Amino acid sequence: MKPQAGDKVRVKSSDGEYEGILMPRPEIFEKGFLVLKLENGYNIGIDEKKVSKVDVLEQYGKPEQGHRERKHDPSLPTISILSFGGTISSKVDYRTGGTYADYTAEDFVQMMPELESVANLRARKVMGIMSEDMSPEEWEAMAKAIHAELNEKEVAGVVVTQGTDTLHFSTAAISFALRNLSKPVVFTAAQRSIDRGSSDAFMNLLCAVHAAKGGIVEVMTCMHGSLDDDSCLLIRGTKVRKMHTSRRDAFRPINELPLARVFPDGKIEVLNQNHRKRSSGAVSVSGQFSRDVGLLYAYPGMDPDILDFFLEKKYGGVVIAATALGHLPVTNERNSLIPKLKKLRDGGIPVFITTQTVYGRVHPYVYTNLRKLSIGAGCTFCEDMLPEVAYIKLCWILAQHKDVEKVRELMPTNIAGEITTRSDVESFLY
Amino acid sequence: MHGDNQELDYKKLGFRCGLEIHQQLEGSKLFCNCPTLNSAEKADYGAMRKLRAVVGETGKIDIAAAHEMGKGRTFLYESHSSDTCLVEYDEEPPFPLDREALGAGLRVALLLNAKIVDEIHVMRKIVIDGSNVTGFQRTALIALDGWIETSEGRVGIPLICLEEEAAQKLGEGEGKARYKLDRLGIPLLEIATSASIRSAEHAKEVASRIGMVLRSVEGVRRGLGTIRQDVNISIEKGARTEIKGFQELRSIPKVIEFEVRRQQHLISEGKKLSKEVRKAEPDFTTSFLRPLPGAARLYPETDVLPVKVSKEQIRHIRENLPKLRDERIKELMEGYKLPHDVAKEAAEDGRFEAMAGRFRNIPPQLVAQTLFTTPKELKSRLNLDPSKLSEGDYEEVFGYLDQGKIAKDAVIELLARKIRGEKIDVSRFAGISDEELEGEIRKIVAEKPGLSAGGYMGLVMAKFRGKAEGKKVMEILRKLMGD
Repeated sequence: MKPQAGDKVRVKSSDGEYEGILMPRPEIFEKGFLVLKLENGYNIGIDEKKVSKVDVLEQYGKPEQGHRERKHDPSLPTISILSFGGTISSKVDYRTGGTYADYTAEDFVQMMPELESVANLRARKVMGIMSEDMSPEEWEAMAKAIHAELNEKEVAGVVVTQGTDTLHFSTAAISFALRNLSKPVVFTAAQRSIDRGSSDAFMNLLCAVHAAKGGIVEVMTCMHGSLDDDSCLLIRGTKVRKMHTSRRDAFRPINELPLARVFPDGKIEVLNQNHRKRSSGAVSVSGQFSRDVGLLYAYPGMDPDILDFFLEKKYGGVVIAATALGHLPVTNERNSLIPKLKKLRDGGIPVFITTQTVYGRVHPYVYTNLRKLSIGAGCTFCEDMLPEVAYIKLCWILAQHKDVEKVRELMPTNIAGEITTRSDVESFLY
Repeated sequence: MHGDNQELDYKKLGFRCGLEIHQQLEGSKLFCNCPTLNSAEKADYGAMRKLRAVVGETGKIDIAAAHEMGKGRTFLYESHSSDTCLVEYDEEPPFPLDREALGAGLRVALLLNAKIVDEIHVMRKIVIDGSNVTGFQRTALIALDGWIETSEGRVGIPLICLEEEAAQKLGEGEGKARYKLDRLGIPLLEIATSASIRSAEHAKEVASRIGMVLRSVEGVRRGLGTIRQDVNISIEKGARTEIKGFQELRSIPKVIEFEVRRQQHLISEGKKLSKEVRKAEPDFTTSFLRPLPGAARLYPETDVLPVKVSKEQIRHIRENLPKLRDERIKELMEGYKLPHDVAKEAAEDGRFEAMAGRFRNIPPQLVAQTLFTTPKELKSRLNLDPSKLSEGDYEEVFGYLDQGKIAKDAVIELLARKIRGEKIDVSRFAGISDEELEGEIRKIVAEKPGLSAGGYMGLVMAKFRGKAEGKKVMEILRKLMGD
């Protein structure tokens, strides 16, 4: 019998005999080692060259998932939780190495029994994907799934879980896709995996369910506001960005104050009055995204020929994260982008300028070099819209409009809170 | 109940006892680059956290974890930026396992005759009393099946683990606990013996023997709080108890004896004992800490890659293993004619051999005395802080001694001046020849006739302290007074 991961085995090696559970070994690791979980719980790797024999003592039996009945409390609203993968829902079966939870409502309740006294939950795993692998296809599926839940009569609000890396791309996509929003759509996630006692997932999810019950009707994120486990911030889906690789308070509002602070006990402290309230109308959806949009990060000394790619591939449009107020190299003949930008313009490929400083607003006229881009080469400046949001917005607009002039007109026009009309003093580094 | 003075018959009691020794290592923390030196700085940052029992890899919640979660507590962490980073706050993934700490661990493992595992896997041990911000302690089994020789035969060392030190608890209140994070993440070597310890006294011997091995290795921290002993004890019909927090070896036998008597007492009352963790109190008794955790407690630390230990690496470490401290002490006693207690200090302090080798005109005993005894005198007699002396200060003084520019009695005075930051005029401390000294003493006696030997001694030493040895002065005085 060939030993399989999860089997209890006895390994005979030149160093002695070991008993334990054979563990799976990730393919990417160096070959040539058996990993054994000893009786005391520790794993060790044994050099296969030393191993003379492996006896199976007991075959692996899949653990039974204890599911318990959920109670329906008619006095509580119903919240729908849709999961799309990521750290918040990755639970590994350490005996086999596979992921096993489907994240049904039972899983969430089992993870956090107190959720049951907050809302009646209905939950569904739509997909299991790490967020870096998301693309327009996933945003379309996401828009469809959320839209369907929102129009369920019993659902008071929707909580969406996914990976954190591209969470702000998803919230932007859904912000544009859902029209006439009448119930909250709250995105939440985890920066620490849920197999550790300190995971931020628990408070994030609890606060997200509270927010989905609440009166702020926006597509928004609900993540830790600080390193403390005391409250989460609700941030508009088009004004949020992941600003740190790993901290639990990585998601910060950009160029606008957060909408509110939510506490684990359900209290919601409004910080920004600029938000919609609950209403009763049906939510509509316009959830298609173009695949022909580029997002380019500008840098000093860049080769202008990079722009040829977009021309050759006949892209629908390009967003450039330019420096500060919207500058690009324009003066030096050798690396001026102007000739290529004009080619793009003449080829019907609109170019949109945002800033890589992340904070602040671009300006088409204050310097001569900015005017060379705006007036001279026909680039459209996108106010205080984040580069990632501009990319999503362009994908969304191009899925609906082919007319370049219409696209140019819509990009710098506020549709889903992505552009503010006033630059708030307090929002910098909030 | 602890009153019985009757000697315990350990064999008859079915006494089973094993030790767990936790030794801090030097360098940087195990999974980040913060220093292992605890800064005494006031906290400049803090965070509030909650912890939750999570389902372990066996699909069950560990009973020790559930016990802690039942308390629903809030944890307040504080830190100073000089010794704590995002890793301790569980805000950044761990860095790779620190190689320096691993090297020290492997050296200890080989000195304890253990087998190094081929590939080391870091695990997460669930701990949710707040002492680990993550909710688990990172720990790796690095070696198996070691042993040490004792007066009662071999005692096995089945496990040697390298793990993270926990945070230090500052206080506890209603549903709250406060911790400081300077200690969190310091590399800790855990050495577990088999349950083959025969008696309370034997336990002390085993602990001291392992302690000796640890002090033989470079990279092992010294000083109060850097080593802790936990004892696992059971007697027949009793239950396994883990007693944590011995700082001093001498308390081990007493605490074991009390614990055995406590279990005996409960058994005699017909009570059923449960597995638990108890804390060693200063009065040698123990108090309940938490139930003993089960096997559901360990799962893989997927953020840290396993570390392969090759045969070549092991051979290299083996060829460069330090001598055991006991052997070193013996060598120093024989080679330099040092008394045992001085040799013990010299064995742990590389400066002695370096200085004794450099300043060959100084008797080695004087080098040792200057390095190990004089600092204590500076503190006790002169109330000065000897830690202010640099290696260069000692070298300077040894240089004068070596060249015969000062008398040996001047050493303490010179070092004292160094601490006070005073200028040193070596000529004032130059030795004085015996004839010159005798001449000077004769003058003093002639000036003030009729005093006692002690009286003259005071006058002479006041004038020649640091230049003349008291012994020599007394000798001359006796000779003159005897005239």
